[in-house]
Amino acid sequence: MTEFSAAVYQNEYLAGGSTDVHAIVTVECRGAGQAGQTSAGDAGEIVIVDTSASMGWPGVRAAQAAAAAALDQVIDGTWFSLIAGTHQARLVFPFDGGPMGMAQMSPQTRSLARQAIGYLAPDGGTAMGTWLELAARVVQSVPSVTQAHAILLTDGKNQHETPAELDQRMARAAGHIQVDCRGVGSSWEVGELRRIAQTLMGSVDLIPRPDQMAAEFATLMRQAMSRGVASADLRVWVPQGAQVLFVRQVAPSVEDLSARRREVNALTGAYPTGSWGDESRDYHVAVRLPASRAVGQEQLAARVQLAVGDQVVTQGLVKALWSDDSSLTARINPEVAHYTGQTELAEAIQDGLAARAAGDDRTATAKLGRAAQLAAETGNEEVTSKLRKVVDIEEPATGKVRLRKNVDKLDEMALDTTSTKTSRVRK
Amino acid sequence: MDDAVSAVDGVVGRECGTCGTVAGPADRFCEHCGADLPTDGRATSSGVAVPADPAPPEGPDTATAPMLAPARRQPPRPPCRECGGAVDSDGYCTQCGAKAPSERDHFAVAPAPGVAAVSDRGLRHHRNEDAAAVLADGAGRAALVVCDGVSTSVSSDVASLAAARAAADVLGTGSVGLAEGSARIAALGVRVTQAAAAAAAAVAAATPDDDAESPPSCTFVAAAVQDPVVVVGVVGDSRAYWLPDVGEPLLLTIDDSVAGQQIAAGRPRAEAEAGPQAHAITRWLGVDSPDQTPRLTPLEVDGPGWLLLCSDGLWNYCSEPAALGEVAAGALGGAGGDPLTAASALVDWANDQGGHDNITVVLARLGGATGATGTTGMASVAGTASAEGTDQR
Ligand SMILES: [Zn+2]
Ligand SMILES: [Zn+2]
Repeated sequence: MTEFSAAVYQNEYLAGGSTDVHAIVTVECRGAGQAGQTSAGDAGEIVIVDTSASMGWPGVRAAQAAAAAALDQVIDGTWFSLIAGTHQARLVFPFDGGPMGMAQMSPQTRSLARQAIGYLAPDGGTAMGTWLELAARVVQSVPSVTQAHAILLTDGKNQHETPAELDQRMARAAGHIQVDCRGVGSSWEVGELRRIAQTLMGSVDLIPRPDQMAAEFATLMRQAMSRGVASADLRVWVPQGAQVLFVRQVAPSVEDLSARRREVNALTGAYPTGSWGDESRDYHVAVRLPASRAVGQEQLAARVQLAVGDQVVTQGLVKALWSDDSSLTARINPEVAHYTGQTELAEAIQDGLAARAAGDDRTATAKLGRAAQLAAETGNEEVTSKLRKVVDIEEPATGKVRLRKNVDKLDEMALDTTSTKTSRVRK
Repeated sequence: MDDAVSAVDGVVGRECGTCGTVAGPADRFCEHCGADLPTDGRATSSGVAVPADPAPPEGPDTATAPMLAPARRQPPRPPCRECGGAVDSDGYCTQCGAKAPSERDHFAVAPAPGVAAVSDRGLRHHRNEDAAAVLADGAGRAALVVCDGVSTSVSSDVASLAAARAAADVLGTGSVGLAEGSARIAALGVRVTQAAAAAAAAVAAATPDDDAESPPSCTFVAAAVQDPVVVVGVVGDSRAYWLPDVGEPLLLTIDDSVAGQQIAAGRPRAEAEAGPQAHAITRWLGVDSPDQTPRLTPLEVDGPGWLLLCSDGLWNYCSEPAALGEVAAGALGGAGGDPLTAASALVDWANDQGGHDNITVVLARLGGATGATGTTGMASVAGTASAEGTDQR
């Protein structure tokens, strides 16, 4: 039995005249089961591997091993397919050209898919939008698939379509499939892959060496198979006249959901959150109430709910209680403070790296210095250790840093991809 | 009167009135939905302390629901008092988010035509320490009680409700039979004195053993009504007014307060009530009170009008009888003579003036009937309605 729970962390006390309410809402899922087993509908898995010329034979062989490792984790009965990506997309499996672009996993199809993987060869360029477009089409060819997920691997930049074309093709895939994106080596662009992952509700990460791909693919597919809840929406109700300032996922990674809003009714917005396994995610919800009330008055600032289909499965209440006791109203909730810091940390790293790439060392030093300070304050060890490979941290407390001269491109990319991963609050 | 009083069980029970979740004996807020839990007089008198502090400010508010659980049974709730929107099972308005008051924080009752009581937390206090209990048979007999908890004590909200209930019980029991005139007044006077004693005993019973510092206490104003005769008794500064349809409004009580004593000695009301310590009360119900005997005022009305009992949450904004009479006439006129609507309007009016204190208003129509002379207790009279804390809005 799948169970969801919600917990709200906030300082509900507001000083007279204040109208802004911030809260961290933790949503936890237990007993999710396996993909395609507990929800209505089937699960579909697609492996998309870059077979552009730049991969070369060693790269393609590693990609073959990774694709095979991923398919090994797919549970029998799950629909699956394999796409090879270059400047165009090619369906490698199933290859019979029937109306269905996917096959159901069985010992027979598993072995046939392995054979198909063996035929991959390096050739051509890179147009990731076409890969995603084909993946979405393939998914829609099997109506029973209600939970579709893909792993996308690339080694390079998206050179054979314009950013606008990529956007158009991504938009056609959005809502049909969730995509975890992985870049191998140091020739791909973190920002580009991050944009794809954000639009298609997946993760983005770096695989430094080709021989690490197989393990990463197996892990990703195992995770995907453990997401028994096909999709869920975060719903945020606010009172009449109130304004949602933002809705942000803040753990396990920072993701602004505000733009994903879809109206449920005049007072309620739904923010898609994709599929769920046994996990917990934190959301930062900020609301501006229409008016301050008299001291002593209480009102609800937001109902934050998780909905599976039309069913609300859990709810957290964000409250506002006006007080003239400044010892109550001045208190900053530790969870809100922590995640506000983590969000600023991600921005500081990304802005700092962008400034560094543009040759603006002053901005880069300031931003990465602020990042070092925030990472130290919030106890984000992973970011601190990755920052140390890009800057020399002289005083973590004040954010005094010096840019390092010879920085390994991979270290810089690792820092970039880590920037949005948040640490949890130290209890 | 036990049956009649059991109408309040839904109010003081340990089940969340909002979502139905069973609460622990010392819980002040619902574990499930965070709604205020009703304060339980019985639990307190048996020694379970009711914590004074509001909800912990930063604790997690946890809710768990199985995915396929059937919808929870939801008792009907009155609409939002601020915008008229539907109130959700979580206790807040679905439109404006206003917190729906708990039954203890706001209740309105009308046990019989012509009799109603409304009690409200007001705007500035965290809880309602006022209480009212009214019984009426619809044939000219009524028991009306208002108690105002003194807020320096932790459980004055419990004490005031227990006191009002106990007093109404006594006032509603028995009958003055065929007694007329001064005999009826004397009999009703005895009843009011007994009612005050029962109220004082209820406050003492609600006093925790270890609370010698600031034991719970409350004011007391009660009316034993057997139309056209009324006896009002008072301890403290809650009041009774007679508002005849024709003629001048009359204040029936003298406040047991610094100002009240000065006014009784001839000082102008406005001046006395503006003085330092003017509102400090000199008598109250409580184990630390030297004198809990009600001061009685009899009245035989010679025409139709309204008897109004109230806590200082109302009269602080319109102390002079003429001023209160004017406000009440406006409320009654706007309500078309319906006492429940009028009492609610008076509470709203006091909130519009600032709502600095809890507000309780009781209205009873007098002088319209010939006066019932039944020989049985009110509870057994056919058509008797009694309610307390049951929201009928
Ligand atoms: Zn509840
Ligand atoms: Zn409302």
